[in-house]
Amino acid sequence: MSGRGLEIADRVLALAGKTGAQASVIVRESETAHVRFAASEITTSGEVTATDLRLELAFGQRHASSSIDQVDDVSLASLVSRTAELAKASPEDPEYVPPLPPQRYVQNAHAWDESTAALPASKRAAWARAAISRADEASRLQSDGKDSLVCAGYVETRARRSTLATSTGLRAEHRGTWASMTTTMRTPDGKGSGWAGAEETRAEDLDPAALAATAADRAKRSRAPTKLDPGRYMVVLEPAAVANLIDFLVEALDARAADQGRSFFSGRHVGDAIFDSRVTLRSDPLDPRTPGCPWDPDGVPLAPTTWIEGGKLKQLHYTRFWAKHRGRAPTGGHGSYVLSSSEPTAPTPAALLAGVKRGLLVTRFWYTRWLDPRQVLITGLTRDGVFLIEDGVPTRAVNNFRFNDSPVKMLSRLVTATQATWRVPSDGDAMRVPVVCCDDFEMASTSDAI
Amino acid sequence: MKRREFLALTAVAACGPSKPPAAPPAAKIEDVLGRALDAAKRAGATYADARVVRTRDQTVSTREDHVVDVRDDARYGIGVRVLLVVPSESGATQAWGFAASANVDGPSAARTAERAVQLARANAGPRKRPIILAPVARYTDRWATPVAVDPFAITIAEKAELLREIWAEARLVRGAKYMDAHTRVIGEDKTFASSEGSLITQRITRVEARYEVTAIDETKNDSSTRASELAPMQAGWEHVSKSSLKQSARKIAEDAVEKMRAPSVVAAKRDLVLAPSNLWLVIHESIGHSTELDRVLGYEANFAGTSFAAPDQIGKLEYGKDNVSFYADKTTPGGLATCAYDDDGEKTQKWRLVDKGKLAAFQTTRDQASWIGEKRSRGCSYAEDWRSIPFQRMPNVSLEPGDKDVSLDDIIAATDDGVLVSGDGSWSIDHQRYNFQFGGQMFHAIKGGKLAGALRDVAYQSNTIEFWHSCDMLGGARHFTLHGSLVDGKGEPAQSNPVSHGCAPARFRNVNVINTKYDKT
Repeated sequence: MSGRGLEIADRVLALAGKTGAQASVIVRESETAHVRFAASEITTSGEVTATDLRLELAFGQRHASSSIDQVDDVSLASLVSRTAELAKASPEDPEYVPPLPPQRYVQNAHAWDESTAALPASKRAAWARAAISRADEASRLQSDGKDSLVCAGYVETRARRSTLATSTGLRAEHRGTWASMTTTMRTPDGKGSGWAGAEETRAEDLDPAALAATAADRAKRSRAPTKLDPGRYMVVLEPAAVANLIDFLVEALDARAADQGRSFFSGRHVGDAIFDSRVTLRSDPLDPRTPGCPWDPDGVPLAPTTWIEGGKLKQLHYTRFWAKHRGRAPTGGHGSYVLSSSEPTAPTPAALLAGVKRGLLVTRFWYTRWLDPRQVLITGLTRDGVFLIEDGVPTRAVNNFRFNDSPVKMLSRLVTATQATWRVPSDGDAMRVPVVCCDDFEMASTSDAI
Repeated sequence: MKRREFLALTAVAACGPSKPPAAPPAAKIEDVLGRALDAAKRAGATYADARVVRTRDQTVSTREDHVVDVRDDARYGIGVRVLLVVPSESGATQAWGFAASANVDGPSAARTAERAVQLARANAGPRKRPIILAPVARYTDRWATPVAVDPFAITIAEKAELLREIWAEARLVRGAKYMDAHTRVIGEDKTFASSEGSLITQRITRVEARYEVTAIDETKNDSSTRASELAPMQAGWEHVSKSSLKQSARKIAEDAVEKMRAPSVVAAKRDLVLAPSNLWLVIHESIGHSTELDRVLGYEANFAGTSFAAPDQIGKLEYGKDNVSFYADKTTPGGLATCAYDDDGEKTQKWRLVDKGKLAAFQTTRDQASWIGEKRSRGCSYAEDWRSIPFQRMPNVSLEPGDKDVSLDDIIAATDDGVLVSGDGSWSIDHQRYNFQFGGQMFHAIKGGKLAGALRDVAYQSNTIEFWHSCDMLGGARHFTLHGSLVDGKGEPAQSNPVSHGCAPARFRNVNVINTKYDKT
């Protein structure tokens, strides 16, 4: 990456200044590299270097935005003229809010790791091979093929520098790195499947061998599942499953939809006790373990924000327009979330399991979709390992289920959560959550998938 | 091909409606691609292909009577894919490598190709399954979506006005309180060259216009949404301007209000009558995805999943009774996945995936054909943009209409007790394509062969094989329509693939209809 984001943004603003428009520019420089593996061998690898640039221009309440990934002088000039043309042709937007003046931002030094940004391709290949070796080893040791494994997975490292500059003098920069690995181990007969994954800011914090071992263990234990009927179960949700549901809850925390009468939160108020009294959901870009960008695309400084505290609704998400409309302060669009539980909690996942007389242990969910936003009702399926817990111990694998349930219900019927939280691989928001045990979770139908 | 013809060909990519803010002179594209391929070969690649791809994606979004967002995004760059054979102690090993750059000039293209070879070398290792590319003819050609009215030539103001006129109609319905709407136009210009001598330029144009009306009942703290049903299509603006999008605004708003006030469905096994605007998504999830060969053989196991279908089940596995056949077709006029050549440089085709109820074939690319003993690729390779690696993506997959001239009204008239579902709503299917659950936009009870009022809180859940076996009535060819989606995700890194699915209305017996109201008391 060139690290020229601010210089590029200033060149664009200089050109935009000649149009007389209010201007806002975001430059994102990124280097993304990956290795993909399947059928126990590396299948594809790639590397993409890109500079993406988005410009928004406004003439009064008329505005438009354009983006390009070319940064030569001709392209930048063309971007400005094209965006100006679109903005002038756009009808007035009463919701348009002009760019912010200069703001103060606090950077999180934990967001960037130099060695991750410069990670050699051989390192990513080595991670993939760690998983492949684990599967090959299992297969080699078992001449009868009984415990053989086939693995698939994905390794990715990303480095990104973001710059925001506006015609009102605002300047903001941020840089971040990500390293993630996920792997799925399956038995060759298709009767067992296990998954594990992790995401970190620093590549060296990933443990590919441990991930491979976890996935392999789940695959072997998930073989030949016992048939279990649909119904309402006590469930222990691993972090990947919890984070998947919390994504929907975060989307539902929109003040505008609530105020307009089209949300679960319509008719509910800040201070209402909606969830178990131990539940807290926060965003904090300065968190060292889930570092985030300290500003959103509008330049709003992202202060630590508590959305749910002690089970009570504390804050809904306000855009700049809706905040102004309602006489509130904008919260900004956060990119990292941490779900936690106050005491009593379980000190470890094993201790949490020990307290479950009968329930289901769920590794992760798949194909989760809105079923009814008004109820924050979600459908989806379990995948890559569901185990029956009996007297505190996962005793056997059971079939996969389709669930129709809600993160609101999950958090209101909380039995226990672990004290510790884990960061979950995510394409978008960074999320850290505990292992959660909740009661009465609706497994609506069974699935033959393994 | 003569050089002058080639210049005309590449000029299409440089000067089309989706031109970027700054395109290099058209003549350079040939040189740029040539430099990439030469550099790849010099660095040791046994095969290479390169794509110069330009995409333009324009969206106009409105809320009620005002525009809230106008976006016009352009992407332009080159992606180079190489296949490398590396000698090793255990014999030759192979690996794919890919690199991409936004710098579309000769020196950058050469460096990008060299980087792709370096990455392939870093990942080369003993192979359990050798990479064998099915032979493909050498093509020099160009192709473009037939477009009567260039959708990029329609002004922002015109697009906004259409959406505002729709709201002006919808808002007349008492209870219709909000509307979110958008138009979207996507242009994709791609010039492909391979080390085997092909040079292909294609321009694809896709359009979408959609709106969703929200009805509110403040006294009951209740709300309901209803979205329009015009399918996105590979076409010009005429697809939107000649549609009934505007004329149906009031009906869509009335539906939103009617659904909000409708009785909640009683969960039970019911006969389902599915309009094409709903059934297409079931075809996509249960037939389209289950017949992707990479998924079948475990190449998507870590993300998109696997499949219940297997190569040794061709001719044996019964998806349904002999009244259902599905075909794949990347040549369907208007289909979102339609093109003349795929991203391996293979000509696109039409073939049966399920023939009279039985599994007949899979979707393949050049490096997959040999996995199942086929001599030629089915032409299903696609990369979303210049940054993306081509891999197997779904062609348009459609359900053959019935051989009798049966209409939706005929099916309703023949149904004693059922539910009619139209429009696409919630959708979800397991990672092997067995258990699915779908919602919809509008639901009506059918009693004694007639519609008997709207219903709410409806979804249906079934199993792919069980569901298609339950199909006992199929609409005729006159009632066949295409629907589809501009976005279908698959792969790591995730890529999006536009795809269409055609069908006539159909009936399914004794399907599990569920009530989605969580607290049913």
